[in-house]
Amino acid sequence: MALSVAVRAARGRWARGLSSTVPPAGGTGGGTAGGTAGGTGDTIFALSSAPGRCGVAVIRASGPGSAGLLRSLTGTPGPPPPRVLALRRIRDPRSAETLDRGLVVWFPGPNSFTGEDCAELHVHGGPAVVSGVLQALGRLPGLRPAEPGEFTRRAFAHGKLDLTAAEGLRDLIAAETEAQRRQALRQMEGDLGRLYQRWSHALTQALAHLEAYIDFSEDDNVEEEVLARVAVTVRALLQEIRGHLRDGRRGELLRGGVRAVIAGPPNVGKSSLLNLLCRRPAAIVSPSAGTTRDVLEVALDIGGYPLLLSDTAGLRRAADPVEREGVRRARERLCQADLVLAVLDATSVSPTPAALGAALAALEPPPGTPCVLVLNKADLLGGPRGSPGGAQGPPATLLSCEGSPSATPAQGPPATLLSCKTGEGLEALLELLAQQLAQLCGDPLSGWPSLTQSRHSRHLGACAAALARFGDLGDSGDLALAAEQLRLARRELGRITGHVGAEDVLDIIFRDFCVGK
Amino acid sequence: MFLRGGCRRLPLLPAPRPGHRRAGSEAGAAAAPRYEVVVIGGGHAGTEAAAAAARGGACTLLLTHRIGTIGEMSCNPSFGGIGKGHLMREVDALDGLCGRLCDRSGVHYKVLNRCKGPAVWGLRAQIDRGLYKENMQKEILNTPLLTVREASVEDLLLKEPEPGRPGKCQVAGVVLGDGSTVRAGSVILTTGTFLRGMIYIGLEMHPAGRLGDQPAIGLAHTLEKLGFAVGRLKTGTPPRLAKDTIDFGGLEERAADNPPVPFSFLSEAVWIKPEDQLSCYLTRTNLKAQQIIRNNLHLNNHIRETTRGPRYCPSLESKVLRFPDREHQVWLEPEGLDSNIIYPQGMSMTLPPELQEQVVKSIPGLEKAKMLQPGYGVQYDFLDPRQLTTSLESRLVQRLFFAGQINGTTGYEEAAAQGVIAGINACLRVQGRPPFTVSRTEGYVGVLIDDLTTLGTTEPYRMFTSRVEFRMALRPDNADARLTHRGFEEAGCVSQQRYEQAVKMRAALEDGIATLKSIQFSISKWSQLLPGVPISNSRRSPVSAFEVLQYQDANMEILAKAIPEPLGKLAQWRELAERLKIEAAYEWCVVNQQQEMEEVRRDEALQLPDDLDYFAIDASLSAEVREKLAANRPQTIGAVSRIPGITPAAIVNLLRFVKTNHQKTEKLKAVPQSGKYFPGKMYSDKATSQRQISAEFSEEEARFVKTPL
Repeated sequence: MALSVAVRAARGRWARGLSSTVPPAGGTGGGTAGGTAGGTGDTIFALSSAPGRCGVAVIRASGPGSAGLLRSLTGTPGPPPPRVLALRRIRDPRSAETLDRGLVVWFPGPNSFTGEDCAELHVHGGPAVVSGVLQALGRLPGLRPAEPGEFTRRAFAHGKLDLTAAEGLRDLIAAETEAQRRQALRQMEGDLGRLYQRWSHALTQALAHLEAYIDFSEDDNVEEEVLARVAVTVRALLQEIRGHLRDGRRGELLRGGVRAVIAGPPNVGKSSLLNLLCRRPAAIVSPSAGTTRDVLEVALDIGGYPLLLSDTAGLRRAADPVEREGVRRARERLCQADLVLAVLDATSVSPTPAALGAALAALEPPPGTPCVLVLNKADLLGGPRGSPGGAQGPPATLLSCEGSPSATPAQGPPATLLSCKTGEGLEALLELLAQQLAQLCGDPLSGWPSLTQSRHSRHLGACAAALARFGDLGDSGDLALAAEQLRLARRELGRITGHVGAEDVLDIIFRDFCVGK
Repeated sequence: MFLRGGCRRLPLLPAPRPGHRRAGSEAGAAAAPRYEVVVIGGGHAGTEAAAAAARGGACTLLLTHRIGTIGEMSCNPSFGGIGKGHLMREVDALDGLCGRLCDRSGVHYKVLNRCKGPAVWGLRAQIDRGLYKENMQKEILNTPLLTVREASVEDLLLKEPEPGRPGKCQVAGVVLGDGSTVRAGSVILTTGTFLRGMIYIGLEMHPAGRLGDQPAIGLAHTLEKLGFAVGRLKTGTPPRLAKDTIDFGGLEERAADNPPVPFSFLSEAVWIKPEDQLSCYLTRTNLKAQQIIRNNLHLNNHIRETTRGPRYCPSLESKVLRFPDREHQVWLEPEGLDSNIIYPQGMSMTLPPELQEQVVKSIPGLEKAKMLQPGYGVQYDFLDPRQLTTSLESRLVQRLFFAGQINGTTGYEEAAAQGVIAGINACLRVQGRPPFTVSRTEGYVGVLIDDLTTLGTTEPYRMFTSRVEFRMALRPDNADARLTHRGFEEAGCVSQQRYEQAVKMRAALEDGIATLKSIQFSISKWSQLLPGVPISNSRRSPVSAFEVLQYQDANMEILAKAIPEPLGKLAQWRELAERLKIEAAYEWCVVNQQQEMEEVRRDEALQLPDDLDYFAIDASLSAEVREKLAANRPQTIGAVSRIPGITPAAIVNLLRFVKTNHQKTEKLKAVPQSGKYFPGKMYSDKATSQRQISAEFSEEEARFVKTPL
């Protein structure tokens, strides 16, 4: 239990943490070529061309992590030569999957638009490519989506904009903000905008009441009940935002495709199911267990919804090291799935809810992920078990506990009988899948989710996190800390709905409470 | 009469010469006494300003109507409170007076918000009026370099402006009531409510700043003629009651803290023995009081005239009208150890005296109370603070500074905080050194001044903690760490002793935190060491002692018991131990705010030229935005961003204009302005944007006059 005394080392950190007396350490990002005098540690990125389908889309990044992101996305050891277009394969650093082939440019600071290290990615302008790249960027540490106008702000902060005060630039900036304005308006006029406004209003009111309690309760008539009311408001708000965030992935899923994983014990016909669904022998099938080792992925269109279907190795304790690796990969893929197609051998499992549940549980699907149970090899079932109409629907015994497939998922996943060999039950399965996908993606007619929504969900996530911390602080007694969480939450929400100043809070305080001299 | 350090009389002064009222000429001024800084007004802003200027090394003159009223607490007998206590700590960190004096004059010390977290603790005390005044006069009359003189000020001596700075003229001295002049390097105006002050009791009204004092009318005229935009505000004070006629028996008692917490970083303890402190009592109004007030609104000029006004309720009348049919709190506060006067806080009134008495007698405990003095309302002029820079210097008249109620604030603490800043800057201005300003990220006083100079005010501005963005970092406990070294190094207004003490504390805190962070154990080891502190299992092991200290149940004493070496020493220093605990509790929040603080600082560092004519510049700005910018005259881009209704696009366009045209504006600034400036002369030749502020503001003034209390 050595007491490592690192007094001096800790001193610098403390000086920043203690108070505002210490001037900001210049270039906290530090270390990158060109330096980023006065910049913040964050690297920001955004789609710089107009959103929507187009030939080429330009994604711009600025900040100390720009070189790093080029390295991560292109898989090369260093950035390309400065200010020269380079053709590169752009890959998702996590999955190593190629997202696109496009042009990348590297602008080391200070000779860049913002004065910081900058990078640009010129990719094909399809929404799927753009969102794929943006998502990949968002997952890199130290990177975050830019606030509206933030590139311009940074350029100003580094004294760059006056160097290029050409008329053309003004138009460019105007166009940018105009697009942002239109974009913001489109959302603000919609239900989403009204929803966010309502939250912002509720949050501001809760904060104002808490602030009133802090600033006035000792001298004036601000009652204790205020605190309980604030807590109730915040709890309700947190629940709503969390619910919205869960729904909020619909747009992303629709854009990026629902990742469905076929999982099950060995030799139940998983690869056959994949082949059946994509109508070609994409996967090797054989009667022996453990044929599939690698993860195989095909893109499908089911009822208009994009589906990325992966076939995986059968889940069992394998002795063979290659198969063991296959099982590991299968598990990994399962964990990332948006939808699980659990395949069981209809002949080896009794069709009671308990038995099916146990068999499903043995696969250890990730908790909370929707699941469809496919009982394959229906052709091998004897007479009384197979219903006369073939395998048109789930076994009657399951219906009793399932209701319709779209009914409450808490009662267990929807199930269907299928014969990959004869193709019987395929239509029912497709219908079931389409229902599941509709639920996951939402109705596409309700509006193409705009790209700023990934920014929205980030801020809403931060807002919810702050509200949750407010709840955790509960009875810790430090109301200043609790209020700080509400202020943080409001600040995050404010980045979507617009700034709410201290005066607005005071307005509410003075409206709702009799306080004064 | 001149009084200087230790009440010594100065050598003979040139006798005032009649007919010399407009002594703008060099010949007349040459014979006049000269001071580096002249402060007009001896209230809370004036005393702090004069003392700060003198501490900074300026030969300073304080002019007041009556020396006997220096240090007068003209309204409530208390100092501090939530947000206000923060300001006092900051005044103290800059070596100001009020904190130290309150530690020698209080009769009931109480930290408000004790259970709501150290960031919002409100240091507060009931003060013995007589004692405070006595202590303040002793302090002021014994401050080296500071001279005090009894005189009224009728006018300002003005001369041509210094080129390259905003302002149509500069102040060179003051003209006194007897016609004599005093020359000055800079002048600070802290005349409170005395500018065209008007007292209201019922339907009666008479000009005065405070009961029994004369208002400053000549000065008001001069300021108006110079083109200062003037607004009108109102305030009020409750009746005073005889303590021996109050029945405290059935009332809720609020005892003072034991031990009392001193205001000043220099005070080890306050002057009074804890057990000798006086109590306050709480009573409440009932519907009878409401009935009396409602039935007699026609007899209440102060209230009747009003249609809209401050959002909060400074008077009992407005409380009853805006929040009817409920009880309203009245705190009965002692005015001093030997005083028979009780100040009923919460019942400011302007009803005719006999009706006030009825209201008083309708309140439990006060049924037989004798009213010693009726409550009254005051209406007074204030100058639009948007005409000031953040160093509190006027943009219209160079070297003229304003502090206190004249800037539209209310409260002793708000006045004192501005006084210190104005005093420091008046002194630095004379010395030709850069101004001393406090950022919103550094202190409540920074928020106060930024709010005033950027947004102005339409009601008496009062400090609240909710106005402060970085509340977790700007706490009463760390005001010295935030401001003392700056005050010492940049302003020279802090004594060596205080500076050294602050440096020592800062080093001890740094070392203490480093030591705590270096002590790391697994969670299970910690729960063995400190069974009383439940450490969350979700934490990543190992956990440092500093992280453990964040827990509500942890403190340095417990830690030191478990780990006597090296923590024993830290825990013994009580103040250090308390401050370490607070640092630990807020570390997460403060670290989290760093990025936002840096953004604010960066925006504040982007200065706008002082002389931008927003109506003329060739930038893509809407007429509405131009008007707002011209009215608020923000000094930095940070200030622009806080003006309501200014769009981000406008900020970008403005910045681009300034950056590209900076050279040009520099040249413009260098052109010397012509025109002679004499006291009392009207300036109609320059129809600048200031005129428009004035016009716009006079409309607001009309609104103010109609506002309810």
